[in-house]
Amino acid sequence: MTLAATNPVPAMSLKRLIGAYFSDAKYESLRLFRTPAFSMPILAMPILFYSFFGVILNGKAGAVFANQMFVGWTVYGVMGPGLFGFGILVAVERNQGLLTFKRALPMPTGSYLTSKLMMAYVFAIVVMIMLVTAGLTMGHVTLAGAQLFRLAAVMSLGVFPACAVGLFIGCYAPASSAAAFANIVYLGMAFLSGLFFPISGVLKTIQPIWPTYHLAQLARASAGLPSQGSMPQHIAILAVMTLALTFAAARKLARTG
Amino acid sequence: MKAEPQIQGAALAALRGVHKRYGETVALNGLDLEVRPGELLSVLGPNGAGKSTAIALMLGLQEPTSGEVRLFGRSPRDLAARRGVGVMMQEVMLPDALRVHDLIAMTSAYYPDPLTLAETLALAGVEKLGPRPYAKLSGGQKRQVQFALAICGRPRLLFLDEPTTGLDINARETMWAAVRGLVTGGASIVLTTHYIEEAEALADRVVVMAKGRQVAEGTVEEMRKIVVRKRVDCVTATALAVIEAWPEVSAAAQTGRQVSITTIDAEAVVRRLLGADPALSDLEVRRAGLSEAFAELTAEATPETNQEAA
Repeated sequence: MTLAATNPVPAMSLKRLIGAYFSDAKYESLRLFRTPAFSMPILAMPILFYSFFGVILNGKAGAVFANQMFVGWTVYGVMGPGLFGFGILVAVERNQGLLTFKRALPMPTGSYLTSKLMMAYVFAIVVMIMLVTAGLTMGHVTLAGAQLFRLAAVMSLGVFPACAVGLFIGCYAPASSAAAFANIVYLGMAFLSGLFFPISGVLKTIQPIWPTYHLAQLARASAGLPSQGSMPQHIAILAVMTLALTFAAARKLARTG
Repeated sequence: MKAEPQIQGAALAALRGVHKRYGETVALNGLDLEVRPGELLSVLGPNGAGKSTAIALMLGLQEPTSGEVRLFGRSPRDLAARRGVGVMMQEVMLPDALRVHDLIAMTSAYYPDPLTLAETLALAGVEKLGPRPYAKLSGGQKRQVQFALAICGRPRLLFLDEPTTGLDINARETMWAAVRGLVTGGASIVLTTHYIEEAEALADRVVVMAKGRQVAEGTVEEMRKIVVRKRVDCVTATALAVIEAWPEVSAAAQTGRQVSITTIDAEAVVRRLLGADPALSDLEVRRAGLSEAFAELTAEATPETNQEAA
């Protein structure tokens, strides 16, 4: 008995291959914009929280405070899509068999994850545009164009650790509790990392475990606000966290699907 | 029938001596299976026979515990091999916020030379469903859309795992017509099904699986002979050994006073039963179901005779 040595299937052109990545990213974003349970909290919470705490309650607190609030809620808002997009969806899709179906199809290697990464970017950009608009029009934000531009650059890097944390949760948490884990981690990242108010005591010692702590320092520095620690060190720590979490998740994903 | 089937050209997909265990459970127990060019191979068998596991292995979704798996001569994990494959699984969740044409576009993008959207919709008979969100479809319509996703990439080899479950008659006929068209166009198809009628309507070759092995293989005609067996039940004083000795009886079993006989010639057996024991009661004759036919095949099959169809 001979097994077929030839492959009668036409080769995939590079153009179509790249097209497949973009198509996956497009439909991943599209379906999540059309899923209010996902898109509403991700898009609405940052702008609502910022409007309430950063604009209404702190209307007369001064430019530095207004800018710090704006930067804090920007970090918060940009982390959401990656954290929940990967954290909840990967866990649920592993459980539901969508991932199994896509693995049976000739979906390009890595497209499952890059489509979610691009989706997180699309959502993060929308969140950032809303926050910048609110900050400049109502929030008394005094950042210059160049500072906003640098902040946006830092935030675009911040999507990566957010996705890595989410991916880690999505690969290890059961589908039924992934949302709870993602929410707890999100709360920790928001309120225990010192995004909005100084942290003291034991919580200060463990503050560096939160990626948002490092990201916030980078964001503040980029916006010309007071920050702590060395910037190359923050970048290095974020890079190590991102790679370690992604590596651990990818191992699990490759083993069990 | 042939003990060693002649291979027409090279196999598109093949399992050779494949074992698959999940902990203590043996899902596949030394399975040999190959899919030849241009054939519609129907894999029949009761639940738990290992049909879906065999397909999962050929798609590279799982690794065999031992044995060899090939798809277009390559590992099924090889993306280039899977580009020749379309698949409709038994249970699948699709992103249901997407519309049908989105799902088709997304799936088509994975293939080198897919059908156009209009061709896919027409072939699957779902032209009217294009703009509908997947979440709003009925169970049967979802199956039809899953079929559209399976064929949109112009596959050389199509895996259909119980495709018509939950379809109404019209939808089933449409799907059957599409499947026949694909075979005419040169595609090979692996169809698993519970329904013997489906295999009868479509298949060139049938493989019957039970307990992780192939227990019978042959043409639809050969398989039909297995399924035309009748089941005769009665309560009789005639000894089981006497009944088993009658030439028309292919199998007999006794539970309490109840005797169950499997036969191709029910009339002859009933005549003999009444002749031997005019006082017998609770006589019942029915067509043996597919699952009963399979169960007997499994019981009859020993490792040495598992190539025999009937």
